[in-house]
Amino acid sequence: MTLTTSQRPLDGIRVADFSWFGAGPIAARTLADFGAEVIRIESEARVDGLRIGEPIKPGGTGYNVCAYFNNFNAGKRSFLLNMSMDGARAVAYRLIERSDIFISNLTPRMFERWGLRYEDLCSIKPDIIAAYQPMLGLWGPHRDHAGFGAVLTPTTGISHLSGDPERKPVGVGTNYPDYVINPGHTVIAILAALRHRRRSGHGQRIELAQLESVAATMGPALLDYTANGVVQSRKGNQSSWMCPHGIYQCANDPAGRERWIAIAISSDQHWASLCTVADSAAFASDDRFGTLLGRRRHESELNDIVSEWTAGCDAASLAATLQSAGVAASVVQDAEDICEHDEHLTARGYYQYIDHPETGRSLYDGPIVKLHGAPGRLDTPAPLFGNHTYEVAVDVLGYSAEEVAELTARGVLS
Amino acid sequence: MTPTALDGVRVLDLSSEMGWYAGKLLADLGADVIKVEPVGGDPARARPPFWLGQPGRETSLRFWYFNANKRSVTVDLQQFDGRWLFGRLVETADIVIESWSESERAALATLEIEPAAYLEQRPSLVWASITGFGLDGPKAGWEVTDIVAQAASGIATLAGYPDGAPMRIAGNQAYIVAGISASQGAMLALLQAEASGIGQRVETSIQEAFSICQETAHLQWDFLRTSRERVGERRRLPGIGTYQTRDGYIFSMVGIPGFGAPWSEVINWMDESGLAGDLTEQEDLETFAKFDLRILLDDAEQARFAPLLERTHELLSRFYASKTSVELYEEGQSRRLLIGQVATPADLAENQHLAAREWWLELNQPTTLGRPDAALKFPGSPYRLSETPTSIRRPAPRIGEHNQEVWTAEVGIPAADLLAFAGEGAI
Repeated sequence: MTLTTSQRPLDGIRVADFSWFGAGPIAARTLADFGAEVIRIESEARVDGLRIGEPIKPGGTGYNVCAYFNNFNAGKRSFLLNMSMDGARAVAYRLIERSDIFISNLTPRMFERWGLRYEDLCSIKPDIIAAYQPMLGLWGPHRDHAGFGAVLTPTTGISHLSGDPERKPVGVGTNYPDYVINPGHTVIAILAALRHRRRSGHGQRIELAQLESVAATMGPALLDYTANGVVQSRKGNQSSWMCPHGIYQCANDPAGRERWIAIAISSDQHWASLCTVADSAAFASDDRFGTLLGRRRHESELNDIVSEWTAGCDAASLAATLQSAGVAASVVQDAEDICEHDEHLTARGYYQYIDHPETGRSLYDGPIVKLHGAPGRLDTPAPLFGNHTYEVAVDVLGYSAEEVAELTARGVLS
Repeated sequence: MTPTALDGVRVLDLSSEMGWYAGKLLADLGADVIKVEPVGGDPARARPPFWLGQPGRETSLRFWYFNANKRSVTVDLQQFDGRWLFGRLVETADIVIESWSESERAALATLEIEPAAYLEQRPSLVWASITGFGLDGPKAGWEVTDIVAQAASGIATLAGYPDGAPMRIAGNQAYIVAGISASQGAMLALLQAEASGIGQRVETSIQEAFSICQETAHLQWDFLRTSRERVGERRRLPGIGTYQTRDGYIFSMVGIPGFGAPWSEVINWMDESGLAGDLTEQEDLETFAKFDLRILLDDAEQARFAPLLERTHELLSRFYASKTSVELYEEGQSRRLLIGQVATPADLAENQHLAAREWWLELNQPTTLGRPDAALKFPGSPYRLSETPTSIRRPAPRIGEHNQEVWTAEVGIPAADLLAFAGEGAI
């Protein structure tokens, strides 16, 4: 017996996606990749900041040309509902009534103002699975503190623990926790709740406080403090048990672009393999470096001479040579490497290119995991702003054309 | 008894450190996760940090964190009897998680340990494989560690200072993401298997699972053919970025129109400490009131206000340096100013909000034989499920701690046979 590849695990599941920016929309996109029907609620009164973010398709204007938004919302339908208008709540409830999952990363105050608390949803749809992702949770002394993606890297310890020990902690270049950890955890909680609903008939509330969700990934450092009183600090690319371990500069490419390689030596045997590759380098025959203990004792000197050696090497060939000797290494890839020259990602078809009415053929991230029997897929590009209001109102919510016209005239729908 | 979401689901966790988090996520949701370890134990049991700084196989805080709630059996897959035992165990499982490299897979295949065969033997089984680069493609055989995955997926190039080396994100985040990806895949496949009776192989490529963290870099390339570079901290405006305080650092995002209180509130606050300098002058206040988002994005606008912006930055730096991080966070937030602490692990342990929400758990963890248990203040869960809460039900296992109960009571190997298997080193 095999699964037919048109079947997906979340076929028949409908998601009311009341989220915006990163953490909510990405979670809902994963659900869409695996078969769920996702209806993204938007409004001209509160346009998702990513719709007007960057990068913008050259020559494009308006709400449909930002790849940042488009990538996180592929496979969804866009439904414009202005929640601050009279009568909007009834429309929202009609959608909730017909949905399996509610998801939102709005602030707790907004859930209260719009009547979207779990108790409200339950009275409409008792077995709803409602996933809330407020920055600091739905309750607690700091509940209403302001924050978004950029603040999360510092407040969860990631900034303090990442980067150059000699310099101040400036984060990790992107709003990292927002893009994988929080949506990723949310999807796991939703899938768990779906299984429970299937077995018991009960829905439930999921509360993902983004601070807690990210802190949960920092367990060893947190335990080092609570158990030992040790406050770990950032140590660049150094490892606590691998040596050498770091990112080393290689020769610039012909266009003058800086090139770097990551190398991680996790055993004496791997060290010996690296020495075989670098047989002419001075460190290769230096007995001091034969054992992990020795390498760690002279780590700084070792890093310097490894750097001297890599400085003359072409990063891509060196990574390939080291890998064929069984040593973990990779070029530090930038977007050009990844999109244009990574034959491996291309062969695997990770990135998907989909035609979009306003941005043309555009790149989208593929599913986060590959199911061999029933793979995820992107059926459609990101929705144009409000493109599906009418069809959702009629086909999903069961309004007549006259009712839609009336709701539109009152500014509830648009 | 409170129900759990993954009640009745058995997971065999054969993974290295790369896959620990996947098993933890499932275990905390109620699955019965059995670590299947080689006879000497998972080599990564000896990874730092250690309880009281004492290295050992039963003292690793890292191991404890990621393996609480799991049970442990040992089995030698190199031996015929070990493989037979493993086959019996697979017959009781719903999900298998492993993180074998291509060479390990090849070596196991010669011993007839092949996922496809188990999937045939048990059609509802879900088999999750975690690898650095996936099961096929030109780099399928590449070795991986956290930093290598961060380099390959396009994250490292964005982190760090422009005049320094690319940096990895702390906390083995590539392994965290691998765990998230694999447990999502395993649960998706489990839902389908429970509905259809048909399981499947699930594949995590860490490089792919991590790629979305490039944020906009790959998208920018697609639209503009330019590579996003690491900027460290490019300060566009005063008030935005990392500032030193009396006892550490804060991340400040104040004075952005539309986000929290306006500049005048910042200046009032500075003035209360007598540190607003000449910013309280009417002319400056009027200028601040005119700031809008254009100034953030437009170089010409920035140049126009450069002297004022520079002066403001200096005064604000002096003000922030006069207060502690917690003072700035608490007081700033009450003034609707977006300030976050650059928190250390100690700050998180002492965080009032986490304490009030009872996020931290208590766990008694056995350590080296003959030593008292470690009483741990243990990090809590990423999420709270109202009907099926997560929980830590048992500490991390010792090597092979559950051989007896799993092999005899649950798999049905007679005690005498088990003794014989132990004698020949199969378990």
